[in-house]
Amino acid sequence: MLEAEELEAAKRTPPKEVILKVKRYNPETGKQYIKEYKILTYRGMTILDALNYIKENIDPTLTTRYSCRMGVCGSCGMIINGKPRLACQTQVAAVATEENPVITVEPLYNIPVIRDLVTDFTPFFEKHKMIMPYIMRKNPKEVDEAEYEFLMSPEEHLEIYEYSLCIMCGLCYSACPVTASDPEYLGPQALAQAYRYIADVRDEEPEKRIVVVDTEHGCHRCHFAGTCSAVCPKMVDPAAAIQRLRKITLFYRLGLWRKKKTSRVAGPLEKPLRKIEAQYPTHNLVEGADPEKQAKEPVSIDFTDEMLSE
Amino acid sequence: MNKTQKQRVKMLQNMIGFFRASLNPWVIRVKFKENPERVAFILHRVSGAIIAFYLLAHIIVTSYTDDPLAWERILNTLSSPWNKVGEWILATAIIYHGLNGIRLLLVEFFGVGIGRPELPKPPYIPPSFKGGQRKALYAVFILSIIGSILSAVLIFTGKLPI
Repeated sequence: MLEAEELEAAKRTPPKEVILKVKRYNPETGKQYIKEYKILTYRGMTILDALNYIKENIDPTLTTRYSCRMGVCGSCGMIINGKPRLACQTQVAAVATEENPVITVEPLYNIPVIRDLVTDFTPFFEKHKMIMPYIMRKNPKEVDEAEYEFLMSPEEHLEIYEYSLCIMCGLCYSACPVTASDPEYLGPQALAQAYRYIADVRDEEPEKRIVVVDTEHGCHRCHFAGTCSAVCPKMVDPAAAIQRLRKITLFYRLGLWRKKKTSRVAGPLEKPLRKIEAQYPTHNLVEGADPEKQAKEPVSIDFTDEMLSE
Repeated sequence: MNKTQKQRVKMLQNMIGFFRASLNPWVIRVKFKENPERVAFILHRVSGAIIAFYLLAHIIVTSYTDDPLAWERILNTLSSPWNKVGEWILATAIIYHGLNGIRLLLVEFFGVGIGRPELPKPPYIPPSFKGGQRKALYAVFILSIIGSILSAVLIFTGKLPI
């Protein structure tokens, strides 16, 4: 969740010079230390830009991981000023002011560090795999050799749309106080995805996931601190998903819950699709132009010698 | 989690230890206005620890002796001003823990007050923060402050002003 205040602050010009305090870790010496970098800023500079600037001009040994630079891939999650954020989505102006131009950058909490700001997501992804994040049907051929799609109404899609936005950046995982004290806890991301597939009308086997989730390291470990939803950059709201999951597991164990509706395969069309003859526009033509004739003629563009030499 | 999965989810050498990881709730800096649930979680844990500690001490003290004179002496030592402060802290912890516990039971077992999933639109506030549980949380805070003040009056003056 991006705060309204932060969005306002991001429109401002950042302070001319900021100090980045980067928490670094060297696996060869096994030392953890904090290094300070002073850099000049410009309007619209993100933390990722600042880190890349340091890597290019000041200290080439600084290691970061990033890919898309626009908040889609979820590689550049880090703790900036004590809060987990995506470095590419955080403006320098939003976290630094003229009075306090210090920005602290740390690797994500609760996740082992490989080097500097790069963290090892293996446990995180293993937990994601454990909840079986794919659609399971009673007849597996419907998925494996799918000929037709599954039916789903817009309302049913809205039920799970919010949770399907997850980019697996690990911010909720590192903000969660329960993951900190229990390394085997599945984590908000995996549990939210479990709910997303249990609530999905296309999925036919919610029981398999309920068994995985309904353990002491599963959804019942959550204490509803809600920070996962507060730090999520994609508005996924894992906190609500976990509470719904607990409700489902409770009622399932009491024998009161079963999946309300599962959708069927769409099947072949009842009526053939309507064919529409394409027509060239006639109302705004240049005088004397014949579009049908022009369409048949090959297109030729004359390049001058100057253009080719460039 | 079976054994192979446990091996796959193994921690590397440089993962921070249990003690420092346990400090995580106090380390993350999110604003109170943005996420009061986290403050509620920390207070719930601290008050729970206080109550558990009191229960243990209470059982030890009450099972210490069955001689009436010795019991009188124990009660005299327990009525010192410092013990009254301790009693007040305990009363506050119980009031807060109980009230917040009701809210948590409703939210966690019956999914009350966490809203419906919706299309994300700016300003991006998660539905679980817009629902009734947030209002209930503020009510819990206000009620436990009132309860704390009333219990302070009762403990230090001996009677309620009402």
